[in-house]
Amino acid sequence: MAAQKEQKQGYRPVVVLSLLSLLICGFLFPFVVTGISQVALPSQANGSLAQLAGRNVGSYYIDNGFTLPVFFHARNESNPLVASASGVDPDITLQDALSQVIGIHNATGIPTSDLIVMVKSHQQETLWVLGDPYVNVLVLNLALINSYPSVYSSYR
Amino acid sequence: MARQTLGLGRILERARLPRRPSLITGSTLIDSVVRLNPISLLANPVMLIVEATFVIVAAMAVDPSAFVPVASVREQGFYVEVAAILLITVWFSTLSDSLAERQAKNTANSLRQLESEVPSKKVVTEGWEREIVLVRSNELLKGDLVLLEKNDVVPVDAEVLEGIAMVDESLVTGESAPVRKAPGDSLIGGSKVVTDTLTARVAVNFGESYVDQMVKMVEASKRPKTPNEVAITTVLFGLSAIFTILIVALLGLSATLGLGADLSVLIALYVCLLPTTIGALLPAIGLSGITRLYERKVVAKSGKAIETAGDTDVILLDKTGTITVGNRQAVEFIPLEGHTEGEVGEAAFLTSWFDDTPEGRSLIRLAYDKGYVPRELNAITLSEVYEFSANTRTSGVKLFHGSTFTLPKGGHTRIRRKFFHEEAGERGMHLSEDETEILKGAPDSLLKAGFTAPTNFSKLVEEISARGDTPMAVARDHQVIGLIRLRDILKAGTKEKIQAVKAMGIRPVMITGDQPLTAKSIAQEVGIEEFVPQAKPEDKYGIVLKEQAQTRVVAMIGDGTNDAPALAVADVGLAMNSGTEAAKEAANMVDLESNPAKIIDVVLLGKQLLMTRGAVTAFSIANDVAKYFAILPVMFATTFPALRALNILGLGLNSAVLSALIFNAVIIPLLIPLAMKGVAFKPSDTMTLFLKNVLVYGVGGVIVPFVGIKLIDLLIGAL
Amino acid sequence: MIDATQTFSIIVILGAALVSGSLLAPYIVRVFNGGPSRFDRILDPIERRLYRLMGAKPEATMGWKEYFLAALLLNVGQMVLAFIILVYQNVLPLNPQGFPGLSLDLAFNTVVSFATNTNLQHYNGEATLSYFSQLGAIQFLQFTSAATGICCMVALVRGFRAGSANLGNFYVDFIRSLTRILLPLCLMAALVFVALGVPQSLGGYVPVKTVEGSTQTILVGPVASLVSIMQLGTNGGGYYGANSAYPFQNPNPATDVLEIYLMLLLPTALVFVFGELLGKKRETRPILIGTYGLFALDLAIAFIPPLPIVGPGLETRFGGFFSTFWTVVTTAVTTGSVNSSLSGIHPLAILSAFMGMLIQATPGGKGVGVMYMVMYIVITVFVVGLMTGRTPEYLGMKITARDVKLVMVAFLIHPLVILVPTVLAYATHAVDAIPGLTSLPTSVGFTQVLYEFTSAAANNGSDFLGASANTPFFNLATAIVILVGRYGPIAVLLALAGSMVGRKRSSEHSLKTDSNTFSLVLIGSILLLVVLTFLPFLILGPVLAYFQGMVNFFG
Repeated sequence: MAAQKEQKQGYRPVVVLSLLSLLICGFLFPFVVTGISQVALPSQANGSLAQLAGRNVGSYYIDNGFTLPVFFHARNESNPLVASASGVDPDITLQDALSQVIGIHNATGIPTSDLIVMVKSHQQETLWVLGDPYVNVLVLNLALINSYPSVYSSYR
Repeated sequence: MARQTLGLGRILERARLPRRPSLITGSTLIDSVVRLNPISLLANPVMLIVEATFVIVAAMAVDPSAFVPVASVREQGFYVEVAAILLITVWFSTLSDSLAERQAKNTANSLRQLESEVPSKKVVTEGWEREIVLVRSNELLKGDLVLLEKNDVVPVDAEVLEGIAMVDESLVTGESAPVRKAPGDSLIGGSKVVTDTLTARVAVNFGESYVDQMVKMVEASKRPKTPNEVAITTVLFGLSAIFTILIVALLGLSATLGLGADLSVLIALYVCLLPTTIGALLPAIGLSGITRLYERKVVAKSGKAIETAGDTDVILLDKTGTITVGNRQAVEFIPLEGHTEGEVGEAAFLTSWFDDTPEGRSLIRLAYDKGYVPRELNAITLSEVYEFSANTRTSGVKLFHGSTFTLPKGGHTRIRRKFFHEEAGERGMHLSEDETEILKGAPDSLLKAGFTAPTNFSKLVEEISARGDTPMAVARDHQVIGLIRLRDILKAGTKEKIQAVKAMGIRPVMITGDQPLTAKSIAQEVGIEEFVPQAKPEDKYGIVLKEQAQTRVVAMIGDGTNDAPALAVADVGLAMNSGTEAAKEAANMVDLESNPAKIIDVVLLGKQLLMTRGAVTAFSIANDVAKYFAILPVMFATTFPALRALNILGLGLNSAVLSALIFNAVIIPLLIPLAMKGVAFKPSDTMTLFLKNVLVYGVGGVIVPFVGIKLIDLLIGAL
Repeated sequence: MIDATQTFSIIVILGAALVSGSLLAPYIVRVFNGGPSRFDRILDPIERRLYRLMGAKPEATMGWKEYFLAALLLNVGQMVLAFIILVYQNVLPLNPQGFPGLSLDLAFNTVVSFATNTNLQHYNGEATLSYFSQLGAIQFLQFTSAATGICCMVALVRGFRAGSANLGNFYVDFIRSLTRILLPLCLMAALVFVALGVPQSLGGYVPVKTVEGSTQTILVGPVASLVSIMQLGTNGGGYYGANSAYPFQNPNPATDVLEIYLMLLLPTALVFVFGELLGKKRETRPILIGTYGLFALDLAIAFIPPLPIVGPGLETRFGGFFSTFWTVVTTAVTTGSVNSSLSGIHPLAILSAFMGMLIQATPGGKGVGVMYMVMYIVITVFVVGLMTGRTPEYLGMKITARDVKLVMVAFLIHPLVILVPTVLAYATHAVDAIPGLTSLPTSVGFTQVLYEFTSAAANNGSDFLGASANTPFFNLATAIVILVGRYGPIAVLLALAGSMVGRKRSSEHSLKTDSNTFSLVLIGSILLLVVLTFLPFLILGPVLAYFQGMVNFFG
């Protein structure tokens, strides 16, 4: 069984394997993933950017920072005490969205019933039937802009 | 399936020692106080820590102002109480040590009395001269010769060299009938010669006999920790280290965050968390395990041997002495074709006339009872007596003029006793016309010797064997004339014991010289599945090695020199005190009573020892939960009143700490009886025992202190 | 309290982890037994070339010391590389944002944290690390620390396996765990993440003008590849400071469920690997019942109080349920990633998180969770096993005083490295350096400090303090805690495994560790040990907060 005894190999395996693992795990792997993603799924891979009138206005997944009364607002701007963990939570609950309807109606004149329909048609279920439905603020506001071009003409 | 199992107490052999003197005596109490000195506590780190905390709290009680801010002058009375309880906790621990040691010494001494110094007659040889010198037994050295005459007490263990005598061993073994001792037999120190004279060689130096060895072992300082004790001590040490970190951290936090915890309360929590119960009782448990063996007159050479006994997987049981009483009794004469029962009975009688073995005597008795005593017995002229030989397994007589048993008148001729090994091959050879030879022996050995037998012989032999009896053939003039049915008498209580060890997952294997059929029948009768028939003592060695090769722990008994190699390799070897010196030397335990069935007791006692240790350990650790719930809500009660919600026991804020501490102390003496008697258990399979003990000592260990602390708290409140 | 649907979803996710884990286990066992696989044709030549480059003999075998030293030295080598990358990221490529190099203490803390599978982060990745650092330090170490953990467990099992003569060859195990387990699984997971909306780009942050016309930077990067190994390898260190609460790292409930599933997958699979690699499948039972039983208890504690509402510290898309569930899972498998701010979680859920990190085996980090379970089993077998009336045995091997000493030392390390530095942090007033910490109520402030060291010691990585703990004291203290908490128990438990090699085994009638009875006793014993050790501190932290009527740690 003498042959089975580990021979003194010095530090070479350690040094070489450190470098090799860095190359394989640190660079080769993410480059492969990036390559495939950029070719096959370019939109998602680059941040699911939202476009308005041909230019990038933000990412659907990142709070767009709406502050004007004509738009629905995300939580992050409304009250720092209820700020989300990320600070860029792009979503609000359905109730939150519905509670903002009056304000937007007052600012834009869009009938509340239309706004309610708009909100409800853009609600996203959490997976399956779990939890409360929520609304993506950017998606909702972009839909408003597109549905009421006259009201939101300055943003197009 | 409802299997009836007996409790341990019913299964173990009864202790036959005289009533023990009371354990709690002045000297025990003084001893327990002496043990409070820190140096003697070094071997018990848990208790040493408790004593150190006592010193701290005592200092707080003397001068609380020196300990501000972790102490308050107003609480001086409380510190006195805490200090007192801490000291009592340590004392309870030393008391349990003292009690266990006292008990062990009492037991050992009651055996040692048998071996006190006695005047003895040393034989001094100079050339051909022999001289008897009177010496005291403590002057005798190994190898010295002693003369033992009628009424002399055997001074130390010795081996008979010359002479045959009856020796009374009742003081040592409890066996009332005197025992015959012949050259080669062992004499036990303390026994008494009742007839005749012996010359014996001293087998040990005075003070080296087994009793002395074991008396030494009970002295705590000389008793090395067994592997299990070392491992448990490690666990206790680890737990103590964890709780030390915990308390130091709590103290640090309390100081830096201003949580206002009192040092004495922290110390109380610390001591309550420390595994004080098992820490206090661990030495006593081990010692009491040894004592319980002594009480059954089994001397273990080390504590480790007892632990190993608990681990036994296989017990090799000698049929004779363990399962059966030891002597087979003749119960029936069976004539073969052409012969009568009377012929067989008379022949059997004659072959046994000079056979002094129990079997031979039983043949005489049966023949006598049935009226088959040869009529003119006194006139029988014997030419030779063949003594029993283990090799041919036959014995018998040769008569003059005997085609019938009616013998010619005339005086006795001198009988020549033949020893087969001296004149090999002579038996059954030269037979002159006027001689009749009658032999009895194992059926196959007679056939092997070329004797003739009718056709139904083998069938009858088999029938007898199949019923668990032993057939013995009787032959006249080279012709088998009949069979004798010998029956084994089962030992009372053996079946229950075997059931008990089987229930615990231990395999009993019966070793016997019997034929396979006989062996099988007896094995079945007592519930043993495995047996080794036609085994010679030296076969045991191979059996032990074979089992050990399959990583089993083997326990066995042995008495003869032939057993010594097997005893030496067996994990648990119990030698009979009546056995040879070599066997006793090789074994790790000796039974002074020479009762082979005790091997089962030894195994059960080993298990009980391990179980007791585990039970008290689990109980001790489980206790901590309740103590937490008693002390923690109180500890930060002033700073965080919200934590009073955790006071689920509803303890008084002032008395909660004392209640927990008092419970922690009194549980030690309350468990001393358990530690010393051992956990009671019904032999059953491993997992049943496990579940039961976990429920009783683990889950019980969680619940009991809740109740106990609450009761103490109510009591304190009432006072 | 949770409703039926939520209970059902827990069951589905755990069920999926259990089923796929048990299905994956035989494959993993083949990888480490060197059994044939369909990937051999591609991977064998590659691996052979790697061995040649390293100058290592794949057929050589190691004792426990060699195995442990090889693992430790390799980890040190990898730490050195990552350390250089972090400190000099300003001069290295792939730094489109032009971030400066890290301070030495932060870089040290970070490489130690990631090389040990801890992933405590005293920085915000998106504002501190270049792409090169995210890849060459963070992601790199996440792979290697995961592989190291798996290897050590495999070596442990080899020691306990009947008839083994050694613990195997670390280099072979390490390379095979990367090439045949982690890299393929991560590739699949990463692509699914991209498809579900997680970015994977090296093009630099994207500046945009928002709808209202203000400027915004979209922080994209190689996130999906990192998230895959961060969850699969139970690492937990995120691309962003907000970890998986940041939408790019966890954009929707689908990715959330996938991430929860992924962090459960390997720890669960390795529970099954234990019995299978041991050659005694039934011995998986106590570990499975033990780990998942305690996990169920964690969940029960966390879900006693009403779920937090979507409010402070919580992301709308996950709500109270998924935030709480994640918190329990991430501590139960010592991943340490978060999908909410811990401050938004109910004190009892935080208590449950503590339980996960204190036990470290529910089912714990991949590899080490099983190792800890073996430690608990040995302690339990010894203490309760005596009550069967036999010298306690595990897998037929008698437990010796030395074994007991080793497991006690392994167990002792945890309280030592949690409690001592916690007290030191207060005693040296190091806590004062963290803004606002000392002004919080005691229960809240203490919980945060205790959590920091508990998370470090358990190699978990979740924390309350985050970048605010980027102080020299906390960087160094947690680094030391992490190192001792990681390599201490691994060394001791490998020593235990080493002493089991070739030990005599009996075959019968000892305590049946593969029984349900023992498994339940094991749960009780673990709870007892852990509760006894840490109860006063939990009471001063989350328990006190609970009794003070807090619903989360925002006060």
